[in-house]
Amino acid sequence: MDKVKKSFWRDNWLVIVTGLLIGAAAVVLSALGNPKNMGFCIACFERDIAGALQFHTADKLRYFRPEIVGIVLGAMGMALIKKEWRAQGGSSPVTRFLLGMLVMIGALVFLGCPLRMVIRIGGGDLNAVIGLAGFIVGILIGVIPMKLGFSLNRAYKQNALEGLFFPALLTVLFVLSLTTALLKASTAGPGSLHPAWWISLVIALAVGALCQRSRLCMAGGIRDVVLFKDFHLILGFAAILVAVFVGNMITTLVSGNSLVSFFAGFGFEKQPIAHSDFLYNFLGMVVVGWGSVLLGGCPLRQLVLAGEGNSDSAITVFGFIAGAAVSHNFGLASSGDGIGSGPVLWVLLAGFAILLVISIFHTKRRA
Amino acid sequence: MIYVATFYTHAAALLTYRALTKNGFSAVLQPVPRSLSSSCGTCVRFEAPDPCYALLDRDVEQVAESAESGYRVIRTYD
Repeated sequence: MDKVKKSFWRDNWLVIVTGLLIGAAAVVLSALGNPKNMGFCIACFERDIAGALQFHTADKLRYFRPEIVGIVLGAMGMALIKKEWRAQGGSSPVTRFLLGMLVMIGALVFLGCPLRMVIRIGGGDLNAVIGLAGFIVGILIGVIPMKLGFSLNRAYKQNALEGLFFPALLTVLFVLSLTTALLKASTAGPGSLHPAWWISLVIALAVGALCQRSRLCMAGGIRDVVLFKDFHLILGFAAILVAVFVGNMITTLVSGNSLVSFFAGFGFEKQPIAHSDFLYNFLGMVVVGWGSVLLGGCPLRQLVLAGEGNSDSAITVFGFIAGAAVSHNFGLASSGDGIGSGPVLWVLLAGFAILLVISIFHTKRRA
Repeated sequence: MIYVATFYTHAAALLTYRALTKNGFSAVLQPVPRSLSSSCGTCVRFEAPDPCYALLDRDVEQVAESAESGYRVIRTYD
């Protein structure tokens, strides 16, 4: 029994510690300025970056989020130290760009990436439980083509510049956002809510480095349980939830309120930057789950892989940013008031059709 | 001997798994061990008297054998 316990910790401590740190970081970042239940959200932060670059027209969603830069550079630094940095790519880049766009559109219908989904659950937002159900269903659908031989084809070793371009571009834009007025920042709304840039950057550097070591992935956790009955990655998922839940209880107590008020806040209505339309919360996350499995990782994992030199993941992140712009420019993104004013249902249905086509046409039998 | 073969795609791992089991070898699909790669892909762990190179899919990345201290890479592919 002791041997089993020892083996469990030896095999899983890093992913658990990473999950606990991400959960704690999310609570701390919210306490220091990020929107509530949005201490860390890859989709929301990339949407804010799209806003800072004026790719979309939502004035309240503009800020070049240091967290995104930090995760990529943290992962890159750790990969370089461990000699795991490698420029590679060429695995169906256009398909990955399109999948990135779809995943972002689905995430902004729900209002959050899988990471924020867990953070929202830990903050008592039960709409995110509906989102989790959709995410699981999406992964279960995505696993079917995986079992039948789905592949976006292999990546190949590339010139180092291919792997360096994305982190370099992010860094240059980030410096420009700090030193010039070229990039825009909101003065009101969610885009205006953030801690000092260096706090976000330092925390995200640590998160990126740990995610590189642990390979933590929100979609991969559930996928591995279904495909292999392997519970390693999902432990990180659970650790984030525990850390956010405990962290929120601590901040409630520190701010002088009772735990009763914390638990009284659990529910569907009036949750921070969330809506309570069950159908769209569910459908949005089905798209995210299905798309993430086909991509081989959730939005957080794509950032980490891009930091490791994977240009396919960098292209996927460009797809996320383009998807954010499309979502806000065409009324597809939800808000606290409800779903967007655009043709959300039609776009989600088109998204399912595209995911189905990609799933079928990339699944082939080979001798 | 226990071997682990990692691949550039999940599909390549699946095809290799099918080829190995069809030829009577004991094999399982599992996540790639962290000590072998930072990739979160799929590998095949199999028991055979030799590494069965002829049965590995063309998208194989590396083959390692199980050692007391973990895994020892015995062949890598570009």
